[in-house]
Amino acid sequence: MIEVKALTKKYGDRLAVDNISFTVNRGEILGFLGQNGAGKSTTMKILTCFMPATSGTASVAGFDVFESPYEVKKRIGYLPETPPIYLELLVSEYLDFVANLRKIPSSQKRKKIDAVVERCQLGDVRNRLIGNLSKGYRQRVGLAQALIHDPEVLILDEPTVGLDPKQVSEARGLIKSLRSERTVIYSTHILSEVAATCDRIIIIDQGKIVAQEAINLMGATGGTTKTEIVVQRSSDELTQALRSLKGVRNVQCLSNGRDRIVLETEASEEIMAEIARIAVAKNAGLIRMSPVHLALEDYYLNLISGKREVSI
Amino acid sequence: MRGATAIIKKELRSYFCSPIAYVVLGVFLFVMGAIFAKFVDLYQRYNVAHQFGQAQGITIDKLATYLYQNMAFILCFVTPFLTMRLFSEEKRQNTLELLFTAPMKEIEIVLGKFFSAYFLMLIMLAVSFIYVFFMVLWGNPQLKIIGATYFGLALALACYVSLGALISAMTSSQAIAAVWTFIALLFLWLLQSLGQGITAAWGPIQWGPTLVYISPLGHFSSFTEGLIHIKDVVYFISFTLFTIFLTHRVVESNRWR
Repeated sequence: MIEVKALTKKYGDRLAVDNISFTVNRGEILGFLGQNGAGKSTTMKILTCFMPATSGTASVAGFDVFESPYEVKKRIGYLPETPPIYLELLVSEYLDFVANLRKIPSSQKRKKIDAVVERCQLGDVRNRLIGNLSKGYRQRVGLAQALIHDPEVLILDEPTVGLDPKQVSEARGLIKSLRSERTVIYSTHILSEVAATCDRIIIIDQGKIVAQEAINLMGATGGTTKTEIVVQRSSDELTQALRSLKGVRNVQCLSNGRDRIVLETEASEEIMAEIARIAVAKNAGLIRMSPVHLALEDYYLNLISGKREVSI
Repeated sequence: MRGATAIIKKELRSYFCSPIAYVVLGVFLFVMGAIFAKFVDLYQRYNVAHQFGQAQGITIDKLATYLYQNMAFILCFVTPFLTMRLFSEEKRQNTLELLFTAPMKEIEIVLGKFFSAYFLMLIMLAVSFIYVFFMVLWGNPQLKIIGATYFGLALALACYVSLGALISAMTSSQAIAAVWTFIALLFLWLLQSLGQGITAAWGPIQWGPTLVYISPLGHFSSFTEGLIHIKDVVYFISFTLFTIFLTHRVVESNRWR
């Protein structure tokens, strides 16, 4: 649905986006993750035809953003970082204005505005001045603006910044409800948000893509998983036995109160079963056995600080 | 052009939702009212003098010329307040992204902005018809001359507004846009006197007459005398079109700068 090839954008001498390539499939929610100033917004601005790239190509639904911007713009709904709203208009006037800009036929206008008001829960504030609305409502008005013409592709630039926790979860719910109908690119620097809503993430740092993976694979680096077991009585015999197990790459003993052993193994279920069997056979008193999920946060911080090894 | 009409509608709504349109209209009418009162006073005095066989040759048409030349000058002060927000406000509120990512051409944005301010100015002109009404009621002005004058005013306003829009597109501060628009209009207006002062020619160009020609004042004067010269019409229209073209360029450059 979206294809970006070798996209580069320079602001004067400063390289904002450096030769990035990625694709987004139809119906996918892609999280675009990076620090402030990493190049997320710039990439989005290029995709929405707001700004031309220095080099490289990008296409949306098969239309090139440089050659046929009109076709691209028709298919994209875009919510910039600051919602593009006019404080002096009523919510209804604003939506009417956007519907006209989007060239929605007047016969359908009413229906589409009603639908988007319902979807973004703007019914209560429909006849209020946008300038008098709270930040959360303004953000929703911005989202309504991006959805009004039923775009195939939705590009949201930090849609949950500045919302309170309840509004954040509502916004996430809204974005999730768009899954499968629409393709969504969604930028943020909040990790839990990505974990909660996206199918796939792209991590971008200093204009370069540093990682690009499906969300459930995150943390499983190089086919290695980590497992932690907690036992009552740790012994050298036990660690020796575990170490000699095929597929086990590293064994670490950590003692604080109880005996914890962390094993780095190949990612397979058989090894897990074998570890449990040995712990029981050595009569170590197995209390708990759990996979160590590499927190997305650690993963991310390690990535952007340039280290790929991960420690617990 | 649906995008342009949507912008015109929205802009006019914004003008009348905020105090700006009312304040500008009010001040304009107040100042024009004061000038008109002076006009009536002069007219009466000349009439009385005329009855006693003194002062002659002062007709109501002469006075109308005086009235409308003043009006054209006062509109120089009024225009910046209406054009200052056109683009600068969009930039400040970050709403240009909305316009640029909607499926329409930049020229629609520029034309929409231009015509919204221009319509408002035409509304102001329409309100000033009240002076024509009084003139007809108590005098006998030549309506053809007044018609030509209004035609000239409408053309001059188009060029004022286009200049204001251009300057507004260059900044994100309304105040700066207003000040520069005013300075630019005043400068154009004063070019007339400046040009008349220059008699020498440097190189092949007669600078004096050239400056006079660039100033809208001379072009407008002939309209107030009831003369519609093609060269004046062409001047105003080409000035406006060229400025709109420049505005388009400037607005477009906002995307890649």
